[in-house]
Amino acid sequence: MLSPWLPRGIRRLFQLPATRARMARELDEELRTHFAMRVEELRARGLSRDDAEAEARRRFGDLEEFQQYAAHRIARRARWLRVTDWLAELVQDVRFAARQFTKARSLTAIALLTLALGIGANAAIFTVVHRLLIAPLPYPDGDRIVKLVVGDGNAPDQAMLAAWRDRARSVDAIGAVSVHALFLQDFGDTRDTVPAFITASYLRLLGLRPALGRDFTPADAQPGAPAVTIISYRKWQREFGGRADVLGSTIPVPDLDDRQYAIIGVAPREMSIPMSAPAGVSGKLRQATPAIWLPASLDSLAGSDVFARLRPGVAAAAATRELQSILDSEPPTGREPVRARAMRAQDFLDPREAQTVQVLFVAVGVLLLIACATVANLLMSRAWTRRREFAVRTALGAGRLRLARQVLTESVLLALAGGLLGMGVAWAALEIILTLRPPSLEHLDGVTLHPAVLFWTAGISVGTGILFGSAPALFAGARPVGDVLRSETRTASGGSAAQRMRSALIVFEIAMSLVLLVGAGLLVRSFVGLQRMHLGFRPQGLVATDVMLSFGREGSAADRAARRDELFQLLRAMPGVTGAAMGMMPGQGWRVLATLESEPDASGHSRSVADFAAIFITPDYFRLAGMSLVAGRPPDSLTWPRGGGNADPSMSPEVVVSQALARRLWPEGGAIGARLVEKSSGPFTRAGRSASYTVVGIVEDVRLPGGRDARWTMELYSPMPPRLFQLPLVLRTTMPEREIVSSIRRVVADFDRTLRGETGLLFGAILREVTVGDTYVRESLAPARFAMALLVAFSVVALVLSGVGLYGVIAYSVAQRTREIGVRLALGADAMSVKRLVVGGGLRLAMVGIGIGVVAAAGSTRVLSHVLYGVSPADPGTFVAIAVLVVTIAVAAAYIPAHRATRIAPTEALRAE
Amino acid sequence: MPRDTSDLLHGTLDLLVLKALATQPMHGFGLCQWIEQRTRHELEIVDSALYKALHRLTDAGAIAAVWGVSDNNRRARYYSLTPRGRQMLRAEIATWKRYVSAVSGILETA
Repeated sequence: MLSPWLPRGIRRLFQLPATRARMARELDEELRTHFAMRVEELRARGLSRDDAEAEARRRFGDLEEFQQYAAHRIARRARWLRVTDWLAELVQDVRFAARQFTKARSLTAIALLTLALGIGANAAIFTVVHRLLIAPLPYPDGDRIVKLVVGDGNAPDQAMLAAWRDRARSVDAIGAVSVHALFLQDFGDTRDTVPAFITASYLRLLGLRPALGRDFTPADAQPGAPAVTIISYRKWQREFGGRADVLGSTIPVPDLDDRQYAIIGVAPREMSIPMSAPAGVSGKLRQATPAIWLPASLDSLAGSDVFARLRPGVAAAAATRELQSILDSEPPTGREPVRARAMRAQDFLDPREAQTVQVLFVAVGVLLLIACATVANLLMSRAWTRRREFAVRTALGAGRLRLARQVLTESVLLALAGGLLGMGVAWAALEIILTLRPPSLEHLDGVTLHPAVLFWTAGISVGTGILFGSAPALFAGARPVGDVLRSETRTASGGSAAQRMRSALIVFEIAMSLVLLVGAGLLVRSFVGLQRMHLGFRPQGLVATDVMLSFGREGSAADRAARRDELFQLLRAMPGVTGAAMGMMPGQGWRVLATLESEPDASGHSRSVADFAAIFITPDYFRLAGMSLVAGRPPDSLTWPRGGGNADPSMSPEVVVSQALARRLWPEGGAIGARLVEKSSGPFTRAGRSASYTVVGIVEDVRLPGGRDARWTMELYSPMPPRLFQLPLVLRTTMPEREIVSSIRRVVADFDRTLRGETGLLFGAILREVTVGDTYVRESLAPARFAMALLVAFSVVALVLSGVGLYGVIAYSVAQRTREIGVRLALGADAMSVKRLVVGGGLRLAMVGIGIGVVAAAGSTRVLSHVLYGVSPADPGTFVAIAVLVVTIAVAAAYIPAHRATRIAPTEALRAE
Repeated sequence: MPRDTSDLLHGTLDLLVLKALATQPMHGFGLCQWIEQRTRHELEIVDSALYKALHRLTDAGAIAAVWGVSDNNRRARYYSLTPRGRQMLRAEIATWKRYVSAVSGILETA
């Protein structure tokens, strides 16, 4: 009898697993024994065999009932045991894996780090891609929200809105929003008083509901309706402490009038104005965030931002078609036919930036593949060194499935831990990306790791675990036990299949790293080129401002000119200002809805251009901005003839045109002295007005590192029309950016106070924008810097991983060939030849990888062609430099184990195994 | 006259089994004999009830079973008390004593 007092664990070790059949058989046997013993005992007391058996049956009780009970119990028990066994094995596997990891600490650390980097970078980039390309608007069903625009992004007018509202079937709701302010809020200005008007449909359109209270109804916008408002979540929190009794209290709206507005609701936290264009590129001034929402009718908001919610299942393109056909079927109004569009948030993304993000997404995917290959390599070399352990366990009866499961558990565990670390990396990487993001990717602000990203990351980590777990698992059980145990005394030949696979992985890693590196190298070269780019102006110390002036109805043109001049002198007199001229930041001219026509030449031929930018200047503008004229002279007359248009050519103002415009209108030359006619078009000016100019100079084209739309390089530098309410001007300053901006603000604010005092108007002068030249150029570089920085970071990580992987493979093969190297050394080989042997092995792999990588890179860098400046996607210099870099890293990675190999003592090597 | 175990109060059989196994590991038939001898054949155990009790106690972790060989060379399943079973036995005995003294207190005064 086996002693029942053995410890339970040991006993279980020798027990056969409980299965249904075995449990039934055991119970059967137990009861038979019992029955036999009972009969024996009864017969010993003198009963006959028959009587004894009958008595034994009686003593047993209800047999049929017991059989039913037993069958039921066995079924239940078997189910239970299966679960507990499985769990016990899992716990065993996990504990075993954890032990393995703590035993191989450095390997585990490298694997974890590799995975964390791969997964983290992926999650961060996926978050960005998700926000920019998949779900750009943070609203429920945000992809159904479209902005309705006509022409080149203009707002639709009242008639269009009415037609769409009554007839459009593709959209659920049309709503509009208008921030009641040309006021641009400063950084750091935390006023919560900026009002905005919205239609009653606006919140619903965004898929939102008030956080508290009720939404607007159309009745709220009726004339004579009580003054009501919905306040922003922020205002509610900050000024009302988030109290529920805020409903019913009243607030003033000082920017608007002196009524008291009853608060009927609180807007949800995420309420905002989607797809609103970033305010300039200054980076110093932003569009105000409304804090007070007021009701308005759709009619009254014509000309402002109009949005619609697509019906479920309707594509934006279908809505565009319907809106267009509605406009086309309206009775003609004498208006030029316009193109209508329903634009999604994605459509506002600069195509070059969308492409950049996609390139980064692919790059980070490649990085993850490299990370997986590295980890697979590490695990495979370990599986190989553990082959003896596996063989012993197989010999002891561990099933192949059980072993594979063990290895898989290790990998999945590693992957999950890597994924967890990766979340940390992702969080940090996202912070970095948000810091680097170009201003035009403004709606990336406030993006956080998305739940979808969590799934994505979990998916990647488990997928990775299975992917690289399967490689060692496959060959963990693939070789006959005896073979492994025997071959333990001699080395290596049996590992050739594994070695081949690992070499293939390394070649793959090197090839992929090379592709990333070449891409990064091209972007770096392009970026360097961009920084040295000839801009056509001198941005250092150049500041452009734009002030909006109000003069009341009485002011005559002369009055206005005097006011403008007054402010101009004030700004010019600021300390640290060395010069001032009227004009805008080069490249930031205004679009004019007009057509420019050259005067007919001798053969009666004239050319025209519809898209051009106008910059209003004083004659010293070019000198101040550091722009050089390629021909002619700056205008010296600043007179703008009375009445605008005129027929007298001698009175036409002098203008300067950009090279691009000159080339377009006078391709054969002869621009200087030629005359130009500007014919107004579009909805904002009275049709039929025209002005004529005399060209006196041609100025160099302005170029920006971020690239410019070719249309707006056609620039017309002309005197300021007297009707304008603006004072655009440029200053040269020696003051730092922050100081000059605050000085300008102070001067304009003072002027505003004076003017309001004189006219009694709500505003006198408003600073609309301050653009600082250096920042302007730097921000134009931002998209290029963004792409470059990320791709460089990815490719450096990829290179390090490949280096580590190559080092691992070489170091392992050296360890495997200890005996062979020992023999060589014993036979008189010198250290140099041994090093050559080892490094040569590594170099061979690297060369194959580089060969494949160069071909792959040549095929794939073309996707960068739109992003590159001054360097071809197939730039041989970059390819060669990167190949040399990779070779260097490969040699370095192989040299360390090579050096170690030369120090093998021959006697030890021979004893080694 | 021997009484049927079906008359036993619920739980009494489990208690008896635990008590029996506290002396030494036994197989099912041995248990029957042990209990019957100790009760001078006052109690006659119904075999099916005994095995149900054994299963119950096994599932509760109070006893464990291994295959062994009986005195007359039969392969038999031996049950023994686990540490948990020992604990259970102590608790059950205490409960039983309180119960008996409470009931007999009533019976004696009445």
